[in-house]
Amino acid sequence: MSGIVFSTWRGEFIDNRGKSSDESSQSEFKLPETYHGEKNSKAFIGWDGVAIFDEDIDAVELASKYAAQYQEYSEACGRCAPGRWGGRILYDLLDKIARGEGSHDDIAHLKEISKTMMATSKCEIGKTVPKPILDLMEHYEAQFDTCIELQIPSRHYGGNTDYIAKVTAPCTDMCPAHVDIPAYIEGVRDMVFTDSLAATRQTMPLAHTCGRVCPHPCEDACRRANLDEPISIMELKRLGADYETDHDLEWLHPRTPKPPRNDGKKVAIVGAGPAGLTAAYYLALEGIQVDIFEELPVNGGEVAVGVPEYRMPVDKYNKDIELVLSMPTVSITNNYRVNAERLKELDAEYDATLLGFGARLSKKVRAENENTKMGGYWGAIDMLDKVNLWHKYNIGSPASNELKDKVVVCVGGGFTSMDVVRCSIREGAKKVIMLYRRDEKTIIRNTTYEEYHEAVEEGVEFIFHSAIEEIFDDGENITKLKVNRFELVPDPNGGRAQLVKIEGGDFEIECDYLIPAVSQALDTQLLPEEWNLEMTSWNSILTNGKDFMTSRPGLFAAGDCEYGPMTIVNAVGQARRAASVISRYIYDGKCTLTDDEIMEDHLAKLRVYDKKEKITGWMPGLPRAESEKLGVDERKSNNKEVNLGFTGEEAIAEAERCMRCYYISMVAV
Amino acid sequence: MSAHNSMNTGKEISVTINGQEFKSTFGKTILEIAREHDIYVPTMCYLTKVQPIGSCRMCVVEVEGVEGMILSCQEKATDGAVITTDSDALFEERQSIMKLYNVNHPLECGVCDKSGECDLQNKTMEFNLEAQDFTARDQNRPVENWGHVSYDPALCIMCEKCVRVSTEITGDEALKIKFGGYGSTIVNTKKEKNYASLGEAAAVCPVGALVSTKFKYTANAWELTKIPSACPHCGGGCQMYYEVKQDRIYRVTNEFEFSTLCGAGRFGFDYANEGVTKDKEAFAKAVEAFNKADTVLLSNQTSNEEALILQKLKEKLGFKLVSPEARAYQKFMQAYGNITGKHLYGGTLKRISESKAVIIFGSRINDDAPAVKYHVNMASKWHQARVAYMHPIEDKEIQNIVTQFIKYEVGSEEGVAALLADTLLKETELPKAVRSFLDDLDIGYLSAETNVGEEELEALRKSLLKKSGFSLVVGSDLYAHPRAEQIAKLAALLEQYAGFNVVCVPPAGNAMGISLVCDLDDEAEGATVGYNMPADFTLSALGGGDLDMPAMNQQEGTLTTVDKRVVPMNAALPYGGYVLNDVANVLGMDAEYTIEYTKILPEEKGFEAIEFDALPDYFDSVGTEHRGYLLKARKVSVSRNFDEVEELEGYDGAVVYRCDPVEQFSAFTAKSSLLEDEAVLLGSQQFATATRLKDGDRITFAIDGVDFDRLFKIDTTMKGTIALNPTFDMGLSGALVSSYRFKRLDFERAGN
Repeated sequence: MSGIVFSTWRGEFIDNRGKSSDESSQSEFKLPETYHGEKNSKAFIGWDGVAIFDEDIDAVELASKYAAQYQEYSEACGRCAPGRWGGRILYDLLDKIARGEGSHDDIAHLKEISKTMMATSKCEIGKTVPKPILDLMEHYEAQFDTCIELQIPSRHYGGNTDYIAKVTAPCTDMCPAHVDIPAYIEGVRDMVFTDSLAATRQTMPLAHTCGRVCPHPCEDACRRANLDEPISIMELKRLGADYETDHDLEWLHPRTPKPPRNDGKKVAIVGAGPAGLTAAYYLALEGIQVDIFEELPVNGGEVAVGVPEYRMPVDKYNKDIELVLSMPTVSITNNYRVNAERLKELDAEYDATLLGFGARLSKKVRAENENTKMGGYWGAIDMLDKVNLWHKYNIGSPASNELKDKVVVCVGGGFTSMDVVRCSIREGAKKVIMLYRRDEKTIIRNTTYEEYHEAVEEGVEFIFHSAIEEIFDDGENITKLKVNRFELVPDPNGGRAQLVKIEGGDFEIECDYLIPAVSQALDTQLLPEEWNLEMTSWNSILTNGKDFMTSRPGLFAAGDCEYGPMTIVNAVGQARRAASVISRYIYDGKCTLTDDEIMEDHLAKLRVYDKKEKITGWMPGLPRAESEKLGVDERKSNNKEVNLGFTGEEAIAEAERCMRCYYISMVAV
Repeated sequence: MSAHNSMNTGKEISVTINGQEFKSTFGKTILEIAREHDIYVPTMCYLTKVQPIGSCRMCVVEVEGVEGMILSCQEKATDGAVITTDSDALFEERQSIMKLYNVNHPLECGVCDKSGECDLQNKTMEFNLEAQDFTARDQNRPVENWGHVSYDPALCIMCEKCVRVSTEITGDEALKIKFGGYGSTIVNTKKEKNYASLGEAAAVCPVGALVSTKFKYTANAWELTKIPSACPHCGGGCQMYYEVKQDRIYRVTNEFEFSTLCGAGRFGFDYANEGVTKDKEAFAKAVEAFNKADTVLLSNQTSNEEALILQKLKEKLGFKLVSPEARAYQKFMQAYGNITGKHLYGGTLKRISESKAVIIFGSRINDDAPAVKYHVNMASKWHQARVAYMHPIEDKEIQNIVTQFIKYEVGSEEGVAALLADTLLKETELPKAVRSFLDDLDIGYLSAETNVGEEELEALRKSLLKKSGFSLVVGSDLYAHPRAEQIAKLAALLEQYAGFNVVCVPPAGNAMGISLVCDLDDEAEGATVGYNMPADFTLSALGGGDLDMPAMNQQEGTLTTVDKRVVPMNAALPYGGYVLNDVANVLGMDAEYTIEYTKILPEEKGFEAIEFDALPDYFDSVGTEHRGYLLKARKVSVSRNFDEVEELEGYDGAVVYRCDPVEQFSAFTAKSSLLEDEAVLLGSQQFATATRLKDGDRITFAIDGVDFDRLFKIDTTMKGTIALNPTFDMGLSGALVSSYRFKRLDFERAGN
């Protein structure tokens, strides 16, 4: 470990130059001192400062290479006057000094250009690139002076240091799929919706889907929130996808798909849900043969049979699925349940296998007399399967046969439970009650404000701080529930508040159906016992979270079977990374990451978003756009999509609020 | 519907700019409010008619309590904001940006076409820059010739205005930005198309990077005299300037900040009838011909004043006045008025551009009316408008705008109109007679005969559900249809009862003006005089007739536009011969100049008694149009009766559709040397198979008494058995081809 020599990162000032190790200060940030494996970094330079890990750093070349990245970076730059010319001048002058041909006038010019760039550039790249350069010019002034006064190249000019750069943004970093969010928003702002879609599809093939039902963790890392309200990032994704669909365009790929390789290499994917589809798409873009095996007669996994039509219209999801299945090297076999025997066969026959199956076993609520076979006891996954298969695919029978005029109690608190209660309303239930252990604030945090609010509007009764103690039945059917009430008691020591049962607060609910939607578990029966796959403590398949290979070489896992029940975007992110690793693994048998992926992981660790940062140069107080929703009476008895999406005007106004917080980071190794 | 307008757009706010307080509404940008009050904020990339671009950063301002500089072109003013648009710090910042714009910009202004009207040149002086402080490594980027326009990347400042115009306004979507830092550039992704609409992209270029190829190096901007006028070609009447030096038009420019000119307007200007002198003998014959005439024919290339002269002569001499396209339009609009009670349609182009859904019916809009297509494109880009294109022939050129193509059978327009009315008025309260007419429709029959599926209509209805701001654009396919009047009434129902913004796009030229000014007859008979129409005695602005007349760019007068506006045209070029007014004066009228008729245009048709010279012709600083005046809608009597829908006639086999290529409208655009003028019969492979024609075959056929001799070409992007047959190359006889636009093709092979 080299230890930190100097840092101005995020307002911290460390200067350990010439100090002994016990005098040295340490950084409070997780800076990438080690690049990868045994390889150390010499320096890390980025939007918020510079950190040096090697006493012998060539600060002049470091500055010049950082400016060069800005020139080479072709997504944001070139679209404003200060950035376009300023960036070039910055690089030309720094390189001139580094070559040994600079003058003190050049230093003055660099400072002048930097000032203009920082004041008026269009995106944060232009505004932030000068910062670490100015830091180096100030604190490593002697190195610059030496080059100028002696007219000699910088100390290691043209040497063997590698400079590895990555562009990111707070939202992109927070998105599990690392979608280039500012680019797709810029596509909307430019009204070039094909650009918008192409930007999304670089890392996210399910643009229709994640433009509708993504819980958008990105919006929690939106810098705009530091100024007023976060951008409505998720919904802006719809515009590109809808444009392609509405105008019946040919499939728009983020890059020209490579021709089928036909080299005998092939990858098996178990499950055609978000993870499986994503991995298939990115492998197919590389021209690699992929065979998907799907248990259900329909494609799309839990999003197809779990997420209701009113939230995720199947014709839109089918467009995302069609995109993947239209790839010439992708094949799919439906109604194909992979069991342990078949998995062993696949494992032997294919060069790599990706497990992308879901977590589809409903967990119990853990009440007394809980009998999953009892009439009226209906697991959330099974219930939603029935609802969705009927409404979306005309398979089976309507759930209203069971639920019409009945009293339904759901226990949950997450998206699945929201889907259960809102579908129950739509199936004609007389009364729908949601029991939740914690409070309103938490249920909103676990889902979204809209979900909760719309469910309330539709007539769902929420009972917070409650849990079922006992289930009563008449031998055939559930008849009633005994429910305990809790209160939140603050910890006098300042810890997390505790839920404490209220004595005498118990009550009973008479009901026809109890639908537990507390959580879901994996069906691990398909994993051959003799493989002894390593599992996580919550019984999902263990990987290192970076290359997604399981403990068995050649067997990969992504999505809910790896993480446990999680979001679509999480599955997409994992699967895309897995596809990238697999695309190399099938040729060299090694699990490797690209520099871009290594940097991606470094930045995630470092955290790009700084919620304390003060925003300047933007007008505060411009409200976040809200799209039009169907009124409660227009939606609660049917499956029409509730969210009508942005009007063009709203979308453009929202896109204009985006501050394009692109940043460049670079490691010298 | 849940309440939704969360953005508070339209809420009253008050802002202070440079110490002065102004009332405004939320939703406007700081720059817009400043400009409304004539407060100057320098910009390089701002173009009023498109959304804020934000590339130049010159427009930054200071806002009290807000750290940093604020981009005024994009940022909306908030209530109570205190704004400073000018300070030393701002000046310095803007000056720094100008220094950057000048990095490596060639200094040879003397050889640049833009010199004298160049924003970079002007701002360089405004910000006192006398030297190029900064340099960067030069790039070798050659000039590209894109056909109508040429692009010089070395001069380009990457303001992106041209790309925005190509995307948001004209919708050709040819120009894109190629990102890449210092090397970023504009690319033409559709070079093979040579879009004349790129002339507009060149018009908005603030420097000399994008220029008209043919104009290049022919004149300096300051030597040219600007003659304000209106374009006479398509009926859009768009604002334009003829730029003239020594009796020659060098180019056409426009108020690009606020209005737009298509390729025909911009490049179709050299059609004047030149070298004409006063031929007394021909003149005397003309007077005699009028005296003897049983019928006077006039083409759409006639100003409102000339139309009025002919109308007055008709009243005096008793001849019939025939103008087939204008007459069909007149009858259509009369029937339309029977439903709405007004003599004009209610729609405007601006409201098309603000629509959330647009239905185009009975017009190949991209070719028929570029100005209308541009507004549909704006709706598509700005409002994500659903655009249904209802036509027998798909048009790939507007695939980027259209969200639903509804193909119907040739001839079945009445049925389509009935289905449309039935579909869109399902839940609307209607007078009993109308309701029972719709209820009695045999939808199954109509659907089968028109070939418009009920599911297509349902999809159309669904796409309109929950959205307000609908437009209906109807066009020339309908006006000469045998059931035009019934179709007009059905379309009018949507304006009257469903709040549609309906625009009945007039046929090209001044057909709308003529239809309002003249009492037109249906059929010609006896001895004929033609005004830009072939006749026994022909007065022709093309030359070669019995008496020469001035072309539209050689005379003063007014046009009536698709926006129901009466706009002035001025003479760009001199004319040495006789004009229609001279003939009329001999025949007993008394006006020194043609434009004396401007103030007596019929008020009962919505015209106003304003002298020609008093007509305004400008846009104000926020882009409000003050060109001439808007026609007033007059009340007409109402009769909401419908005939039964007639049995629909089928058109089997090969059919030709009268359609000029984009930017061609008449013999006058055909004469313009800068416009492409290939006139061929254009059909699909399927058409070729059905007719057993091969690409390159030559055939002859006749329509409305006009003989065509056409080269047949296959267009692989087309489908179906309908071919496009132009008329712009047919000289004055083109105007005779005026019946229903689709015709069964009955041809002979031309002698090989």
